[in-house]
Parts: sequence; C-alpha cells; structure tokens
Amino acid sequence: MRMKKFINDPKQIVPELLDGFRLAFPRHVKLSGANTIVRTNPKPSGKVRLVTLGGSGHEPGLSGFVGRGMLDASVVGEIFAAPGAAKCIEALRDACAGDESALLIVLNHAGDVLAANIAMQAVERERLNVKMVLTEEDISGPIGDRRGLVGCVAVYKVAGAAAENGASLGKCVEVARRMAENMRTLAVALRTATHPATGQPIFELGDEEMEIGMGQHGEAGNGRMQLKSADQTAEIIMGRLLADLKVNTGEQLLVMLNGAGATTLMELYLVFRRVARVLEAKKIKLVRSAIGEFITTQEQAGFQMMIARMDKELLELWDAPADTPFFRVL
Amino acid sequence: MNDLICICDLRRMFAEAAVRIRDHSKMLSQLDSIGGDGDHGITMVRAMEVLENELNVENDKLLNDRLKDAGWGVLSVSGGASSALLGTFVCGMGDVNLGRENDCKHLAASFVAGLHAVEKQTKARPGDKTMMDALVPAVQAIEAAANSGESIARTMERAADAAGTGAASTKDMIARYGRAKFLGEKARGSADAGATSIALLFQGFSAAFAEQEGA
Repeated sequence: MRMKKFINDPKQIVPELLDGFRLAFPRHVKLSGANTIVRTNPKPSGKVRLVTLGGSGHEPGLSGFVGRGMLDASVVGEIFAAPGAAKCIEALRDACAGDESALLIVLNHAGDVLAANIAMQAVERERLNVKMVLTEEDISGPIGDRRGLVGCVAVYKVAGAAAENGASLGKCVEVARRMAENMRTLAVALRTATHPATGQPIFELGDEEMEIGMGQHGEAGNGRMQLKSADQTAEIIMGRLLADLKVNTGEQLLVMLNGAGATTLMELYLVFRRVARVLEAKKIKLVRSAIGEFITTQEQAGFQMMIARMDKELLELWDAPADTPFFRVL
Repeated sequence: MNDLICICDLRRMFAEAAVRIRDHSKMLSQLDSIGGDGDHGITMVRAMEVLENELNVENDKLLNDRLKDAGWGVLSVSGGASSALLGTFVCGMGDVNLGRENDCKHLAASFVAGLHAVEKQTKARPGDKTMMDALVPAVQAIEAAANSGESIARTMERAADAAGTGAASTKDMIARYGRAKFLGEKARGSADAGATSIALLFQGFSAAFAEQEGA
C-alpha cells in the first residue's frame, strides 16, 4: 500500500502538528517548550497536576485531553515513539513548580515506561512530589505485562475530576489505580496504516482477514482470523473482555469504542448495538458509553473495545465537568 | 602506538559508528517493521547525530562528563525505548572517572558502567531478542581483553566480533521484550533491530582504532 497523506516535510510532522493543534484550541491549550502541551489557564494552586506522555500519530490522543477536568500536561514524542526522558523531567519540574504535586499517567509501552522511569528517578532525587500510575489493560498481552490502550482516557477523566475537586495526590493515585485495575481493552484491526515518517505499511493483513489483539502502533497481535460481521466481532471481543474482567450479573459497566482512524462511526454504532444487546442478555448494566476516535493509529481500520467496572465514586468522577479539546462533559 | 584515549578518540568512535548506522538505516527500519513500527533506523540516525554534535562541542570538560552530556542529549531524543536505552548507556559510561585522557582498562570500566546503567532500566537479558544480545557480549569482550592487557584496537575488535555474533544469534530467538514480544513464533527468522544497531555501533568503535593502528 502506497502512502497517501497531506504532509509537508516528514521530519517536521510533530512540530507542525503541535503548532496546528494549539492554534485550533487556543482557549484550551498552549505549547510549553518544543513538545509539551499544557493548559492555557493553569489549575489553581494546591490541586494535583496530571501529566502524561506518549508518541504522536495517535491524534486526538493524548494531548486532546489536556484541559479542565482532565490533563494538565502532555509530553509529546515523535511519531509512535516515546518522548525523551529529559523532556519528561522538564514537564514534571514545570508541573511541580511552586511546590505543587503531580500524578504521571503512563501507558504501558516499553519506550514510554523507560522514559517515565528515568524521569521518576530524576524527580525523586529532586524530592518533587510525583507519583506514577501505569495503565496496562490490553488483554491480548500476557498478564503482568499488558499494553496500555484507550483505557488511559478513563483514567485521565476520573483522576482529573478528583484532582479538580481538590483531592490529595494519594487520593488521585487511588482513584487512578482503581479505574486502571477495573478496565480491560481488546483491539481488532482490519487494514494497516502507513507510518507517516517512513511511508511504509506498519503491518500486513490479507483482504479477507482481521486481527484481534493488534497493538496501538500496529504491533502484530496473535488472533488472525477470517473477517467477521459487526455482530460476530462484537460478540467475540465482548466475550473475551467479560471473561477477563470476571464481570458478574448486575454489575455496572462503562463501554468505550475507539475507532482506529479509518473505521467509520457507522460501523462503531453497528458494533455498539450488539454490545448493548449482549450485556442486556447477560443482565449486566451498561451505565455509560463513549464512542468515537480517542486514540487513533493513522488510517488503520479497526477499533478498540474497552469495558470498565464502575462503582458509585468512579461514576460521579466520570460524570464530573470536563472541558478539553476532545472530551467535554457539561 | 600511544594507547591513551582522548576526546578526539571518542569523537572518532562515535563518528565511525554514526556512518555505519546511517548507511544501514533502511535495513534497521525494515528489521523493526517485522515486530515494531518500522522506525528504528530513523531513531538511531537521530540519536547518533545528537551524540556526534554533543561530542564535537569544544570545551575543557573531563571525558566522563563529555559522555554524560552526550548521553543526556540522547535522552532528549523522542525515540522510544531505543534512544532511552542508548542514552542511558552513554550516560552510564560517564559514571567512571576518565579524566581528560585515560587507558584501555579505564575505558573498559566505563563500558561496564554503561551496561550496568542499562541493566537497571530494563529487565531484558541476553536471549530475549533485544539490544542486550549484542551489548552484553560486547562489553564482556571489552572487559576480558582489557584485563589481559590487549591494545585498545584489539579490545574494540573483539567487542565488535562479539556484538556481531550476538546480533546474528537473535535470528533464532523469539522476543520477550519490546513490541516484538507480541509476535511470538513469527519473530523467528530475522535479527533484532536493536541488537543489529549495537553491532554496527561496535563495528564503528573498532574501525576508529583500526585505522589509527594502520596509519
């Protein structure tokens, strides 16, 4: 597949995209240094700062969730590549300036975790008040070392709401961990994306195939199968998620469907329709849902399905006001 | 020959390494595309550029501080795990006091310190199909050669051989770390991109001294 994208200079994609993003949402975000997106109007002092980090090429993630009620800063890396540790250290120092505390939320990918660990070691030496929470909810991976996928958005949402309410760093960590431990995601891919900087397809998949377990960067999964209908795909994925999270009758679930970039909202609604029916049949309460593009992989076709067990407090935090470029709750 | 290392030697080592990484960047990206997202070559070229630029700065700092500066430079590169580990390695090399010039044994100690720093950041070990399959044997070869009194040229030659053998051995492995781990058996049959980069790096280090000896 030949790459067909509107690009000026492959080497300038990240700075140009950040420039475009800040110009599009000046009320919400501004650029701090070369590659950190922060809120235009910082949070009042005394409230915990939420910081995240990750590669780009996944728009609107992750910087699209910087704003009131969610993130305070997003450290942006190259296309599909973690930002340098030195930049994460700077972002954490800035977030903690004036004796503030910060929660660093990291998606479990080798590069992101390395950068985060190096940064955490440095800020701990400086005695900054920073804690880190890892999201690792992709059930296609081995237990104990699962990837972080779209579930991070729910963690940003609930921890962000807690921080906005004035919760302590300890409380924000507790809420973030509870959300992270009670969510599961599984992805399915239909068609590859091309890497914007190399122009090469990031994986190969036959015309009649789909692959369950595909990573956020098109990392090969291990569930290649014949292409299925929306209903069948929804059933397979939901079945695995429910089993992994051990969901019982009567429990309350949040469901997120995250389009990979080329899968239409039309298809996502077809899938979601079946999801709702499956849960209804199992007498599991579908209490909230979010459908759209949160973290994409270029023109990849497919989606991630995330389910999360919600308790009263998590629901209240999920429903709390948020005003970010790509996630708003009135 | 004079077997003391000075800043010009460090510059030549990393310049020779950078040439090899640049020459093979397409191949490195291709290897990466098998289990990853196919940008390893781009990342390594960028990291080598930073290393060269940092080392080319004219100042009067000690060699270990030069290595630390260069390593921190690489830690600013947004290149995922590859640049984080390479930056950690070069930073770690600066943990040994080298003064403004030093001998082969001290340089060897500096390589060992670099490896220790990397081992603190990653759980990957030889056999996991990562850069460690080239880095660990290369550093071990340096240590052994330096301890038995070999010249710097011979020491680096041994390291390059060990790194090359280590990188080639990843062909038959399945990955347990990094993005390729999700491939399982499909990863067998091609070498690991990170290990291949490390082998090119040590080839460059070796070439830097081989030329000197021939001159």
